[in-house]
Amino acid sequence: MIARPYASFARLRERDPVHWNEKFGLWVVTGYDPVVWILRHHELFSSAVIRGVEGPPYPPVLTEDAPLFDEVKAFRADQLVEQDRPEHLEQRKTVHSFFTPTAMEGWRPFVRRAVDELLDELWPRGRMNVVTDLAAPLPVRIIARLMGVPREDMDTLRGLADSILHLNRGEPDRLRPLTEGIRGIVEYARPFVEERIGNPGDDLISALAQGETDGVFTRHQVLVNTGLMLFAGHETTMNLICNGLRAFIEHPAQWDRLRADPDRFARTATEECLRFDPPVKSTQRIVAQEAELCGKTLSPGERIRWIIAAANRDPSVFEDPDRFDIGRQPNPHLSFGSGIHYCLGVALARIEGQEIFRGLARRFERFALETDELRYQPSIQFRSIESMPVAWSVPA
Amino acid sequence: MVKVEVDHGLCVGNAMCVATAPGVFVHNEHRQSTVVDAGGDPAALVLEAAANCPVSAIRVTDAETGRTLFPPEPGATS
Repeated sequence: MIARPYASFARLRERDPVHWNEKFGLWVVTGYDPVVWILRHHELFSSAVIRGVEGPPYPPVLTEDAPLFDEVKAFRADQLVEQDRPEHLEQRKTVHSFFTPTAMEGWRPFVRRAVDELLDELWPRGRMNVVTDLAAPLPVRIIARLMGVPREDMDTLRGLADSILHLNRGEPDRLRPLTEGIRGIVEYARPFVEERIGNPGDDLISALAQGETDGVFTRHQVLVNTGLMLFAGHETTMNLICNGLRAFIEHPAQWDRLRADPDRFARTATEECLRFDPPVKSTQRIVAQEAELCGKTLSPGERIRWIIAAANRDPSVFEDPDRFDIGRQPNPHLSFGSGIHYCLGVALARIEGQEIFRGLARRFERFALETDELRYQPSIQFRSIESMPVAWSVPA
Repeated sequence: MVKVEVDHGLCVGNAMCVATAPGVFVHNEHRQSTVVDAGGDPAALVLEAAANCPVSAIRVTDAETGRTLFPPEPGATS
């Protein structure tokens, strides 16, 4: 189910696109239209999920770690993604203009250089682990530059990002590394915020700090949102790279098509990778007001989780949805969501994906997967490959 | 006077345009942005709304000359 979920998602979508799951006590939504409807009706579905959690975390954690959960809740509850209107709008405005498509286009040459440097270094080796050698280093390097922190701090930041990723995982001992990551990023960010709050630059930390000056953020909110910016673009971009490359390895004709004209196909290929095997499988909300959806009544307080990976293959929207087609247009996938919480980093993510797949296609003729089975992190939210060894032939 | 168009094949209902230039943009029944009055806010605000669209769904042209004001033409300086 974790490794190959699509057949199960399709069965559920066909049988009951808005389904009450008795075992977990939540709504599971798999149809494209109902997912869009939910995302566009933010007044009916609250994003303040963590604040409402009473009792111990799920999946269960080690008994001695249980007190750490309060720290996780405090970190999570103050982040932009957990806000509703009216606060959400004012907070989003502080960083929204930083991430516009036009603003991010200005960063494309930097992203291309970072991709070229990394790929030129990897190519002569003839093999790599896509997760650790390519997917993990790149997004951290880029977000560090956008935040305006020194390049020497990259390893520190990557370590912190990896720790904070335990937020979306299920291991019983996850709270210890997670809270270490939370404390680490807050303490790491603090001096930068203090330095820039009266003396802003054009970086992302300055934009967040300006929010405090404007009375929109508390200091704690500036610090935890710095943490959010670090990890929100980390695992998601890693997954785009890994899941996309897996799709290309399994569909060699599409890889050849990209290789024949990388500049032409980089954009639509990235969108198809996002649709076909999305970095984020599912997201959740809490029902805030009673709502009718596909003949079901959703009541306040009930949890609701929608499966992006299922909606992205809804045949009522996508022709031949299980086919990986890098020229697919239009491609209105839901991998960045929809509505007021639509992914803040979308323009950056697109540029990263386009530059990565373009850069790979220009250099690598064929990848061979060096494992019989790809395993995924035990997460309902993220579609994250654990390890992905590949090889290619290098002319002597 | 400017002419403003929203591409509903792209619009995701992020609503930043409605927040930026509420005299020009409102949401329709699908919660997608639609233009009620291209002159409902100053042109500078309309251009800000267009630039803030995360999916570049808004096109602004000069109604008299037909010149594209947003998105910027390739090679143009802002």
